Amino acid sequence: MNTVLSRANSLFAFSLSVMAALTFGCFITTAFKDRSVPVDIHVSKVMIKNVDDFTGPRERSDLGFVTFDLSANLRPIFDWNVKELFLYLTAEYSTRSNALNQVVLWDKIVLRGDNTKLNLKEVKSKYFFFDDGNGLRANKNITLTLSWNVVPNAGILPLVMGSGHKSLTFPESYEIAKSY
Amino acid sequence: MLAMFKSIPTHMVSLPVMDYKGQKLAEQIFQGIILVSAVIGFVYGLFIQQFGWTVYIMLAGFTVSCLLTLPPWPMYRKNPLSWQPAVPETSGEIRDKPQESQSQKKKKHK
Repeated sequence: MNTVLSRANSLFAFSLSVMAALTFGCFITTAFKDRSVPVDIHVSKVMIKNVDDFTGPRERSDLGFVTFDLSANLRPIFDWNVKELFLYLTAEYSTRSNALNQVVLWDKIVLRGDNTKLNLKEVKSKYFFFDDGNGLRANKNITLTLSWNVVPNAGILPLVMGSGHKSLTFPESYEIAKSY
Repeated sequence: MLAMFKSIPTHMVSLPVMDYKGQKLAEQIFQGIILVSAVIGFVYGLFIQQFGWTVYIMLAGFTVSCLLTLPPWPMYRKNPLSWQPAVPETSGEIRDKPQESQSQKKKKHK
């Protein structure tokens, strides 16, 4: 500690260790929080088509079109350890050929500081709702849920499902829209 | 050949250096400032729920510590080491030195 460089080294290393301890403290204050909030999903229109799916093994697959409304208040999730939320809407259903199918229809990134009241109306799905086969037609139970991935400043990245889901049925025949 | 190395000055009077008590004081000062700013930053950040402010307060504490402890201020030079007076350099110094140290030791015993 007799030279400026030696003191600067000691000071910097000490500051870095203290900073690491503070970051751990930030993590520990939010590690056991429940990050789920109630979500309201409403579907206004569904339709199916039977089209060529070049990514699949068969000639034609079912393609679903869902128009929905989303509303949720995400404000309680944001604390000092949350950098952003990655929201995604999943459709979950079962067919004769597959017991469980999960398809992501839509997603959104909500940054810290953005508007946290989610109130979207008449949203079309962002990604293709292809089925592995022809199992969407007249399917009685398709469940839509909104989940999110919490991206923290320090710590674990949990996947949280919002409380609230919407079940819907697809129409019996192709190219005919069903309104709710 | 040893005479060549002996003639190099071994201490520099031009650059101010902290003495040992000053170094200890400087270390205590910067550790104290950093810890206090860490506690203040943590509490404030937790209160307003923004970790960015914790980092800003820590950086402020770091800057204050740098200014207070990196340059060798006079308050860190209050207890300088008392060196023995310099021995005048003569040509017969190498032969004289062991005898002188012996005579100094004799003086101390008395």
